Amino acid sequence: MQIFEINSTQIDKIKKITTEEKSFRIKNLEFFKSTGFPNKRLEDWKFSDFKGIVDKNFKELDTIKAPSNIKKIDLLKDFEHNYILLVNGNLHASNFDYEEKSKIKINSYDKSIDYKISKNPLICLNHALAENGYSLEIDKDYKFRKVLVIYNLFTKDIKNKILNNKNKIKVNEEAELHIIEYTINESKSKFINNVYENIILEKNSKLRSLCLQNNKSDGIFYKFLKNKLSLNSEYSNLIFSSGLKFNKLDIECDLTKENSRCNILSALFLNKNEHQEIKTLINHLAPNCKSNQNVKNVLCSDSKGVYQGKIYVKDIAQKTDAYQLSKALLLDDNAEFNSKPELEIYADDVKCSHGSTSGNIDHDSLHYLMTRGLSRKDSIKFLIKGFLSDVIEFIKNPKIKKFIESKLEKQINEH
Amino acid sequence: MLEIKNLQASINKKSILKGLNLTIKPGELHAIMGPNGSGKSTLANVLSGKNGYEISGEINYKGENLKKIPVDERARKGIFLAFQYPLEIPGVNTNIFLKTSLNSIRKSKGEKELDTLEFLKLIKEKSTELGIDEKILSRQLNVGFSGGEKKKNEILQMKILDPNLIILDETDSGLDIDALKIVAKGVNSSRNSKKSFLVITHYQRLLDHIKPDFVHVLSDGKIIKTGCGELAEELEKTGYKKLN
Repeated sequence: MQIFEINSTQIDKIKKITTEEKSFRIKNLEFFKSTGFPNKRLEDWKFSDFKGIVDKNFKELDTIKAPSNIKKIDLLKDFEHNYILLVNGNLHASNFDYEEKSKIKINSYDKSIDYKISKNPLICLNHALAENGYSLEIDKDYKFRKVLVIYNLFTKDIKNKILNNKNKIKVNEEAELHIIEYTINESKSKFINNVYENIILEKNSKLRSLCLQNNKSDGIFYKFLKNKLSLNSEYSNLIFSSGLKFNKLDIECDLTKENSRCNILSALFLNKNEHQEIKTLINHLAPNCKSNQNVKNVLCSDSKGVYQGKIYVKDIAQKTDAYQLSKALLLDDNAEFNSKPELEIYADDVKCSHGSTSGNIDHDSLHYLMTRGLSRKDSIKFLIKGFLSDVIEFIKNPKIKKFIESKLEKQINEH
Repeated sequence: MLEIKNLQASINKKSILKGLNLTIKPGELHAIMGPNGSGKSTLANVLSGKNGYEISGEINYKGENLKKIPVDERARKGIFLAFQYPLEIPGVNTNIFLKTSLNSIRKSKGEKELDTLEFLKLIKEKSTELGIDEKILSRQLNVGFSGGEKKKNEILQMKILDPNLIILDETDSGLDIDALKIVAKGVNSSRNSKKSFLVITHYQRLLDHIKPDFVHVLSDGKIIKTGCGELAEELEKTGYKKLN
């Protein structure tokens, strides 16, 4: 069923673009039109049938640019922070009062068209239509003093819209940045958010990022993250997203130079009707790089969790140290967890391992806690928190840690 | 305190307890000895309320039939089981867990819940009394604890939760002599006219430090002999075979 139509007139409406950019956009649009939304016949989408989800949730869709006016939002008070405010993906405001402002460049979306045509239809759709987003660049040697919160606000008036946003973060040599992406949903209706994010880490730089939601959303979220790590740089991504009807994070990490390191950790608590996928591709392209993935899912009711993780080790990437673990705790008979670990190794002196487990609450542990007077419900809560705790332990800042713990606690209590 | 009449328990259709009778009065300490597979741990599990057993007969605790009372409620009514193999619970801080447990027990008794300071004072007092390093309580519950530390932690939990009927399931197994003395000290210092103990053990060793009022021999799911402290000494010399 064709639920929406797009043609090149929509690209004509995008202001201030070069002929070259226009032709790049049209090429992508043509590709998207030839495939449509990705369905489960595509290997990368076999556990998350995006087309099926779109068909089920939308009778109509439009790609008209969303409004980006708001009055005011409540900033987090739990810890001091800088912030960027995105409204429906559009850069609305920024505040770097804790930092040396001259060291930071912040602009509306990245206009670069230095991208290859992708086989992923959603990336093509993004390349064709994205005109919102932000581009952030941190100067050489500059280390952020406080965390940067990216408030990602979705307003009430985006019913049936597809929001295509494109972001770019570049951390230059020796610089350090710590971000928290905090999504706030005001929209009660269904919409699609399709994000392409490009992260570039130069020599000896560090980026720690963390993502979570303020509240539940009926939105359908897809985000493709492309990371390029240079010599001795370090990237970490902690994922605590929850309360979303559908969310897929597609993370590609290129460890292009020696001693670059990447950590992807998640502690997810999925409730009724929620479906989340984390898909990773870690490309070890140089020797002595390290990658670590630890994906934890707690699944209630009829929720569905998916982890597809691939580690690729190029022939020259000797002394690679790559680790991948996914664990699921299923609290209900109807909950579902799908895991597909993959290793593709062409070097002969590497340390690569993966593990995947899924199971119910351990009855002996439950019995032990209950013999101490804890109710069944409280005992289960303890076991859930315990299960997710090693990801939380990764957070070093005590105030941020407390903030995340209280958010998780709230989700568990609401269960 | 506890009255067990004709208790039969089976798991996966395998009959383990086959008509066990036992009465424990307030203030008494009973020891249960018996060969491997005689049903000692099953008795401990059944008393704690563990799921998975098919049970018939009667278990009355303070005059109330326990049969339909779930594990946590039994604990809040004052039944405590020290595990033979205490479980490791990753990510759960022992202090936080214990404070929550204690407060849920206190709440059910209509007592005031302890705040963090009061709780810390209590564990300081109890761990000093037993000579246990309170640092183990700031670690994850039993994770990476040595066998001795796990058992000492069980006794410390017993002291803090202050139950009425205490079941020790082979708490002495795997302990060195110093740890054994700590366990014994914990039990002896808790004995009073209101508390009762059921001590399950293989060896007389523990009973050198904890003087039982009665010793029972459990064999093939039944108590086949009851005596006083000397019975344990006799068993140590002759073994169980002679009794069968």
